[in-house]
Amino acid sequence: MASLALKDVHKSYGDTLVLDRVSLEVAARELIAFLGPSGSGKSTLLRIIAGLETADGGEVWLEGRRIDALPPGDRGVAMVFQHYALYPHMTVRENMAFGLRNAGVPKPEIDARIAQAAHVLEIEAQLEKKPGQMSGGQRQRVAIGRAIVKQPKLFLLDEPLSNLDAALRTRTRVELAQLRQRVDAALIMVTHDQAEAMTLADRMVVLNERRIQQVGTPMDIYARPANAFVARFVGSPAMTLAPATVMPGNDRFARVRLAGGAEVMTRVPRNGLVDGAPVSLGLRPEHVSLAPAEAATLQAEVILVERLGDRTFVYACLADGLEMIAQDIGSSAVRVGDRVGLRIDGDAAHLFEADGTGRHADAAT
Amino acid sequence: MKSGGAPRRLEGLAFVAPFLLLYGVVLIWPLLMGIGISFHRADLFGAREWIGLGNYATALADPVVHQAIGNTLLLALLIVPPLTALALLLALALNRATRGAAVFRGIFFSSSVLSVTIVTLIWRFILTPDAGLLAVAADALGREPLPFLSDQALVIPAIAITTIWWSLGFPIMLFLAGLQQVPADVYEAAALDRAGRWTTFRHITLPAIRRTLLLVVMLQTVGQLQLFGQAQLLTGGGPGGGSRTIVLAIFEVAFGRWELGYATALAEILFAMILVVTLLQYWLVTRREDAG
Amino acid sequence: MSATSPRAGLSGPVLALLLVGAAVMLTPMVWTLLLSVKSNAALLGDSGAALSPPYTLDNYRAILADRLTSRWLLNSLIVSLGTTAGVLVLSSLAGFAFARLEFPFRRSLFLFVLLGLAIPEQAVILPRHQLFATLGLHNSYPGLILPGLTGSFGVFFMTQYFRAIPRDLDEAALLDGASRLRLFWSVLLPLTIPAQATLGVFTFLASWNDYWWPLISATTSDYYTLTVGLASAQMNYAQTSGLGFLMAQAVFASVPILIVYIVFQKQIVRAMAGTAVR
Ligand SMILES: Nc1ncnc2c1ncn2[C@@H]1O[C@H](COP(=O)(O)OP(=O)(O)OP(=O)(O)O)[C@@H](O)[C@H]1O
Ligand SMILES: [Mg+2]
Repeated sequence: MASLALKDVHKSYGDTLVLDRVSLEVAARELIAFLGPSGSGKSTLLRIIAGLETADGGEVWLEGRRIDALPPGDRGVAMVFQHYALYPHMTVRENMAFGLRNAGVPKPEIDARIAQAAHVLEIEAQLEKKPGQMSGGQRQRVAIGRAIVKQPKLFLLDEPLSNLDAALRTRTRVELAQLRQRVDAALIMVTHDQAEAMTLADRMVVLNERRIQQVGTPMDIYARPANAFVARFVGSPAMTLAPATVMPGNDRFARVRLAGGAEVMTRVPRNGLVDGAPVSLGLRPEHVSLAPAEAATLQAEVILVERLGDRTFVYACLADGLEMIAQDIGSSAVRVGDRVGLRIDGDAAHLFEADGTGRHADAAT
Repeated sequence: MKSGGAPRRLEGLAFVAPFLLLYGVVLIWPLLMGIGISFHRADLFGAREWIGLGNYATALADPVVHQAIGNTLLLALLIVPPLTALALLLALALNRATRGAAVFRGIFFSSSVLSVTIVTLIWRFILTPDAGLLAVAADALGREPLPFLSDQALVIPAIAITTIWWSLGFPIMLFLAGLQQVPADVYEAAALDRAGRWTTFRHITLPAIRRTLLLVVMLQTVGQLQLFGQAQLLTGGGPGGGSRTIVLAIFEVAFGRWELGYATALAEILFAMILVVTLLQYWLVTRREDAG
Repeated sequence: MSATSPRAGLSGPVLALLLVGAAVMLTPMVWTLLLSVKSNAALLGDSGAALSPPYTLDNYRAILADRLTSRWLLNSLIVSLGTTAGVLVLSSLAGFAFARLEFPFRRSLFLFVLLGLAIPEQAVILPRHQLFATLGLHNSYPGLILPGLTGSFGVFFMTQYFRAIPRDLDEAALLDGASRLRLFWSVLLPLTIPAQATLGVFTFLASWNDYWWPLISATTSDYYTLTVGLASAQMNYAQTSGLGFLMAQAVFASVPILIVYIVFQKQIVRAMAGTAVR
């Protein structure tokens, strides 16, 4: 059974529509990441689920109960805020107890839940401290603790890691992964950071321009982006989209011609593609490699070299001005200004139709 | 935050109602009542007779009122500029984080917390020729003490000095707060540009605290236009009305002659004067900001 | 921080001028203090006697024994504390609502309250005197306290303060199932304590020192505040118990206020800073 269900949720601020008929189902104990550019409505959607914002229309269901008309405190959801929003004048213990007391939970039960959460999060020593006396990482745990003790059916986290430094971020990421093993609830987190989303989430929801662009497992979204936006947004460096046209032919798979004249044979089934139709050829860096002139598909000039140690990204400019990113070995000797040959792995290429719809290499064969 | 039905929307009104009720009944209602009363010949005991602008016409022709307005403006002129200049100088000198500066700040502010009665009591026995400190000093030097509180030429300066002594603290604090807003690196940059003290003050400090300066001048002007206790207690407005201020005149008309209507009209005239100063301040601040 | 060098001491000439200034500020106070510890008889005809001993505390003893002065002190305390408590309660409630709740006419009502900042006491004091006479409020504590509760500044100040508290906290409390009243009382109000202190000190000072209104509202000496009582003593000081006693009254009346000043210096300075940058 779905834990959370959104049906046709929409929301405007004044004249600007920020969410356009969003529907989504989240399974029990699933971890979902909302990913999308700034202003795409991630926070708004999260806040509608929490009850901090009222949708203009649509339904929100949690564990079989319609909750969109309930006040936030009665919905059975808990939220971890980006800036933690701990009550500054209360100790850690009081922070965690506040919501339980409001809900009329008996005192011994409150104490037991706090003790348990403090143990799990290793903040037992800090229980009598105030938030102002703690580090950012510790406050983050208290914020999580405050959510855990409520034993919600759904956790909502708005950019939970964005306030932490790089080292703490990695550690907290691991802790979040462990957290979900321990709690019997679904989890939704908003993030800007696709690495975070890909490592943590069971499924990702990519939002842009008021809508859900794609919902799927991280691998699914990486390997089979539903449209050009998702393709460019997920993956780093971004996928190259090269303008091309579909060549006539009778093959099972589509062959395309790049603007510069080179032809690429893909493994994208050609049925449904119109001969001569303009498309974009989508190439991830790992599917473009450097090659000697005679084995190369294209010739290009190197304009930037990004060395990551284990591999090297080579940004190259084609004769017609198109920029393409290739991946080379870590010890690559390429330098800016070199003329290089690029070999395209057509088997892994994607095609995007003029309206952005993605078509992918046939996995079956 | 959210719409939550009628009861929740009215909840907010319940929070503001207690204040609004008092505000309406004890401030706004009397304000409107006053405008009404000023068109009447009215006494303190309830008699009312509509005379339109009669009270205002009387006021325009009343030499006592002319004198009171003259005295008040003169007092404002004798108090506001020296007070502002002194306060600015002291603030410049005391704008540093040392213990000594803190002690001096405490001293210069201490008189501000005293009530007008205490201030005038203190100054009465500085100024009065029969028992004041200045008389004692003059005596020691073998001179005649000056009759500060009874000489036509000396009463106004005497009240001005008392007032400056009393009011110095607040403008100093305002200037200090203004000076703290000026970022230190601007001064460092000026020092690197070899700007002298005066140049730094003239071209960096002064423009930076322009708003505070304006605020001080306007607040003080509005305050001194309402000068009352010092005149009433030190000199009783004398001699011969030579130190009667507008508010003192209002007080005398209302509680000495019981002519409430006329007193209220005088109060409305003062209100208009204060409003002009306040609007002027608003205009100056916004205009300068548009320009800069 | 500072114009020239934040930590540097005061230079010679500046220090000298400051010392002269401080002397001008303090001499009148010291003089008052000296007069207050002289017997009335010794000052008769020669107040210069205050500059030399013998000194005595007789005047202060007389004050403590004097029924009226203690009564005035009590009145002043009741009026000032009552006004302060009232202003804090009313301003906090209204400030919270203006900053955080949605209700009909919220913006217009707030503007209406701001209007009060521009209304000088002179424009209301006489008609209010009439109104209070009709209501029979003169010579009573409510009559002395109520006018002090109508200041817009407190509401404005608290509204600004509530607005500065991050909204996250409200939302966290909502998710924690807190009612509006609980949010106000348990979450936001405790965070405004610094503002309460500042506003409270200011209100107390202003109320303690208020002269005009108690002068015309309290006409029987039983309802005089210290400020008004001292004024009446000052006006007929020839008939009162003498110069030393009068000055002892002045010192006595300043003590509570100086204590408040010394204890709350920080809040006072902070409030000033607030006024300057608004
Ligand atoms: N209270 C509001 N009033 C008006 N517009 C709003 C309000 N809150 C959000 N918006 C608009 O709604 C859109 C979605 O905002 P939202 O905060 O949900 O974006 P987001 O995806 O969380 O962005 P970010 O990654 O920057 O946090 C934005 O265009 C924003 O300007
Ligand atoms: Mg957001």
